[in-house]
Amino acid sequence: MAKFDLQETPRLGGYTKEFGDSGMVLREITELVLTSLAMPMGGKTKLTAAVKDTFGLTLPTALKSKLSTDGQTRLVQTQPDQYFCLTSKPVPSAMASVAYVTDQTHGWVGLDISGPNVREALERICPVDLDPSAFPVHAAARTTMEHLGVLIIRVSKDQFCLLSASSSAESFLHAVELSIKNVI
Amino acid sequence: MTDNYRLPESGKVDRSKPLNFSFNGKDMVGYAGDTLASALLANGTRLVARSFKYHRPRGIFTAGSEEPNAMVQLRSGDHTEPNTRATVAELFDGLTATSQNHRGPLNFDLMAVNDLLSPFLSAGFYYKTFMWPRAFWEKVYEPIIRSAAGLGKLSGNEDPDQYDKGFLHCDLLIAGAGPAGLSAALSAARAGARVILAEEDAIIGGRLNAETHEIAGDSADVWAETARAELAAMPNVRIMTRTTVVGAFDHGIYSAVERKTDHLATSAGKPRQVLWRIYTKRAIVAGGATERAVAFKNNDRPGIMLAGSVRAYANRFGVATGDAVSILTNNDTGWDTARDLVAAGVNLAAIIDTRDMAPLHSFAGTSIIMGAAVADTNGRLALSSIKLTNGQTIKTDCLAVSGGWSPNVHLTCHQRGRPTWRDDIAGFVPGGELPVGQSVAGAANGDLSLGAALNSGHKLGNALAKELGLTPTKSQAAKAADEPSSISAFWHVAGEGRAWVDLQNDVTVKDIKQSQAEGFRSVEHLKRYTTMGMATDQGKTSNVLGLAIMAEATGKTIPETGTTIFRPPYTPVAMGTLGGRARGKDYAPTRLTTSHEWGAKNGASFTEVGNWMRAEWYAKQGEAGWRDSVDREVIATRKSVGICDVTTLGKIDIQGRDAAAFLNLVYSNPFLKVPVGRVRYGLMLREDGICYDDGTTARLAENHFVMTTTTANAVLVYRRLEFVRQCLCPNMDVHLISTTDAWAQFAVAGPNSRALLSKIVDDVDMSNEGFPFMACANVTVCGGTPARLFRISFSGELAYEVAVPARYGDSMIKALMEAGQEFDATPYGTEALSVMRIEKGHVVGNELNGTTTALNLGMGGMVSVKKDSIGSTLAKRELMIADDVVRLVGIRPVDKSMKLDAGAHFLERGADTTMDNDQGWVTSVAYSPTFGHHIGLGFVIRGHERHGDIIRAWDGVRGKDIEVEIVSPHMYDPEGGIQRG
Repeated sequence: MAKFDLQETPRLGGYTKEFGDSGMVLREITELVLTSLAMPMGGKTKLTAAVKDTFGLTLPTALKSKLSTDGQTRLVQTQPDQYFCLTSKPVPSAMASVAYVTDQTHGWVGLDISGPNVREALERICPVDLDPSAFPVHAAARTTMEHLGVLIIRVSKDQFCLLSASSSAESFLHAVELSIKNVI
Repeated sequence: MTDNYRLPESGKVDRSKPLNFSFNGKDMVGYAGDTLASALLANGTRLVARSFKYHRPRGIFTAGSEEPNAMVQLRSGDHTEPNTRATVAELFDGLTATSQNHRGPLNFDLMAVNDLLSPFLSAGFYYKTFMWPRAFWEKVYEPIIRSAAGLGKLSGNEDPDQYDKGFLHCDLLIAGAGPAGLSAALSAARAGARVILAEEDAIIGGRLNAETHEIAGDSADVWAETARAELAAMPNVRIMTRTTVVGAFDHGIYSAVERKTDHLATSAGKPRQVLWRIYTKRAIVAGGATERAVAFKNNDRPGIMLAGSVRAYANRFGVATGDAVSILTNNDTGWDTARDLVAAGVNLAAIIDTRDMAPLHSFAGTSIIMGAAVADTNGRLALSSIKLTNGQTIKTDCLAVSGGWSPNVHLTCHQRGRPTWRDDIAGFVPGGELPVGQSVAGAANGDLSLGAALNSGHKLGNALAKELGLTPTKSQAAKAADEPSSISAFWHVAGEGRAWVDLQNDVTVKDIKQSQAEGFRSVEHLKRYTTMGMATDQGKTSNVLGLAIMAEATGKTIPETGTTIFRPPYTPVAMGTLGGRARGKDYAPTRLTTSHEWGAKNGASFTEVGNWMRAEWYAKQGEAGWRDSVDREVIATRKSVGICDVTTLGKIDIQGRDAAAFLNLVYSNPFLKVPVGRVRYGLMLREDGICYDDGTTARLAENHFVMTTTTANAVLVYRRLEFVRQCLCPNMDVHLISTTDAWAQFAVAGPNSRALLSKIVDDVDMSNEGFPFMACANVTVCGGTPARLFRISFSGELAYEVAVPARYGDSMIKALMEAGQEFDATPYGTEALSVMRIEKGHVVGNELNGTTTALNLGMGGMVSVKKDSIGSTLAKRELMIADDVVRLVGIRPVDKSMKLDAGAHFLERGADTTMDNDQGWVTSVAYSPTFGHHIGLGFVIRGHERHGDIIRAWDGVRGKDIEVEIVSPHMYDPEGGIQRG
């Protein structure tokens, strides 16, 4: 029987771009494993304990993500009783005993946007208030940009992680790229 | 040409930076800091436009965004923009502008014949004239009116400029950076509020730049600059110049247009303008006030201007608006013009004050006439003299008129706030209910003097900061005198001849009186009958004057007469700005499957389905048209094996202890007992019993299902499921999440599908026993890549769907094609898919069209009566289950060479084409290469009992009427033996 090897292709081909000498950088996040953990009814105690055990984290609340001390795991609440787990490797299979687990890695495309004009660029498409007083480091929100659903996380003062549906990745990249070009 | 009218010393233009520009082909020079209007006046150009209706010669009337007259065609070629107000167009080197709305040269406009015809062109002219004959409305009158209408011209080509939109947030938005706005910004920002200060002008200060006031011992513009610098240094303040707040919307949301590059020669690829949506907690309208004119005979000649504007040209731009200026005023501010002009060295011919009182000042060599007005004017293309009501004639080439000041209440009206009249200032001030969170400061609120404006802004800034939970500082408002501003209302000079009220729409006092006489007594009717207050200036200089004349004609007071109110936008906004970047292919996002790139390289033509781009067929060399490709794809699939990307179908991951019960509620057919490893077709009803969507749902584990939906309904179904979950079944343990984009899914269909997949799928017994029809499983493919395998068929063939994580999709289509090479595997698109599903009798959106029931679709048995499900109760309504409802049927033409058309209606042979005789309609048609003729699906009354009958498919739109035979909708393999394999 002939064997056929399947290759994984990043949705945007591992796109990365520096915008002249503006200091703005836009990069496809290809290394991210994205897992949805939904809390079974009545299962908060178990899930909380498992999350503590596995990642050393408490469950996040809306708009505030939690980053593990080793920087390898970020938890974001995405709706009541649902959390997105952003990791560099698949979550331990034991999580399936305390949460309904759905692999979301391939459903999303991630963009890392950073640089001194990052807020100015995002102002053109992001309806969320990104002032540090309203959206500090580790803040997270679900919103829409150019009609596309987006999960936005502030990674550092001038750096954001943007996650959007993978099927519209090219349109999303265009929207973010154009926003940078328009302000530098 | 030199700028003869540039004053030697005054003004804020930068004389070290001369700028070349041209108007109507004539080269001129201005300075940085000029507007096109100030530069034209400096060069002695008075005549700049022709009026809208009568083509009267018109000049520059104001110095701001309220300008009704001086509209020009700015720039050239594709970048040209009509109706640009010369008073707000900043001068740049190389600017070109032309006048508009004339035939022949500006100084000899052939259309000026309209002026001679004016007795026939009064208010309501169109309504009265173009009534008969009715047949002329569209073919004769409309083209004539359209060719005469409008002012400037569009290029007719696509706008090459870029536009953008954006979102801003603040505690406090201040619209207007004049004395009140600056004062409010200072107090609120010092208290720590996040402030956005938006100013329409290129520089901060508003009227302070146009006056010679003093604040805190300094000249007022110096104070404004100091205030700007203090604000600019605060991280909590954003100063936005060239930004006009154009609308006040719900929940404290404002829109503003920022002109990013309009003051530059080119945009260098950046957006020309940005439309901002500003979310505010509080907002202050500090838009100042607009001066208005007085109506008298021939008050529209070039050279007749507003007095405050004449002052602005002298003080800010260093421009004398004439060789001998005279002033007509009914209030004290007209005297400010006199004082400033004399100080700047402009020759002042006369001051005429309508008030019969002692003069406020005297000026050497200037006649001062109290208690009189201007009765008429002379000068063909520009003012040469004025005649007073006392009979005196005065030689003058510029008449500065002040009829008082109208607070700019516009933004307070955007949610139907109705301004109220204040006699002491003879103007409307904000009234009624203002938009939530909005306050008004300064002249916009009727505080017309400088001291009052500074104070009201300061107090309001502090008060709002306090409301926002901040602590105001102890700073004081900047000190300034309350200059005299008393007024005695004076609206128009009675007499024969035309006295203009609304310069932009050529509305005269006579038109207003006539409108009143003809019964249009409400101000709203007046506006629409005369067109007063319409078009680009929205009556900023004319509305109050028009109302006052209306009030006088009806013998009522102004408050009794009322006022029209304002809608957004405050100033004109280009359509391109509203569109922003959403144009062409960027109008909406597109979704691509992971086989898109492969498809594009292999002849695929794409069609939009929702936002998805799906391959409709894969053309091969030598094929004459799409039908060749589609026929080939169908035949190849039915003969051997075809591959179709079905990623676009919605996929919803459903997990939880109650997942089965949840599905049992949302689907009309039973789902409780679907075994693990099996797929079931499900039908979803709306609450009213009409079919909503259909699809297959696979049970991957006891508490884990994956639902598929139709491509177009994926989002709607997901939303509906969330509604059911959150609102109807809050106590169920069930969770939903979309996985549509997470998996790349391919249908592999045809007799060789099993053989092909056996090469791809790892270690699965693919036999009919090992993996029967409607089986599903988590598997691996190609040596370990996780995958899902479903044995489902939309084509009627032995078929599978195989899904891999999306990033393997590109690799997967290539692997499938390579593995399929020995079977001549053929990729097929949506058209072949559609042909095969029609042959098989599967329904899609054409049949599930929001009006059809399960019974109509021949699936009445799928609405279980043994359980409760959404829609099952109302599906039992008498009319929905009556015997004579339409049923799904197949059709084929009696004459097999005939083509069928969807949308045709069924009639009995010989029946008249009436609605009463309507028997149903054709929903889907296709040429079937399997059968060698056209086939179709449709709904026929009692169609299930009529297989074999001949009936007509009558198509009135295409003029066709052909006989068709009713057959079972399941035309291909009606027993289903093939797909069960």
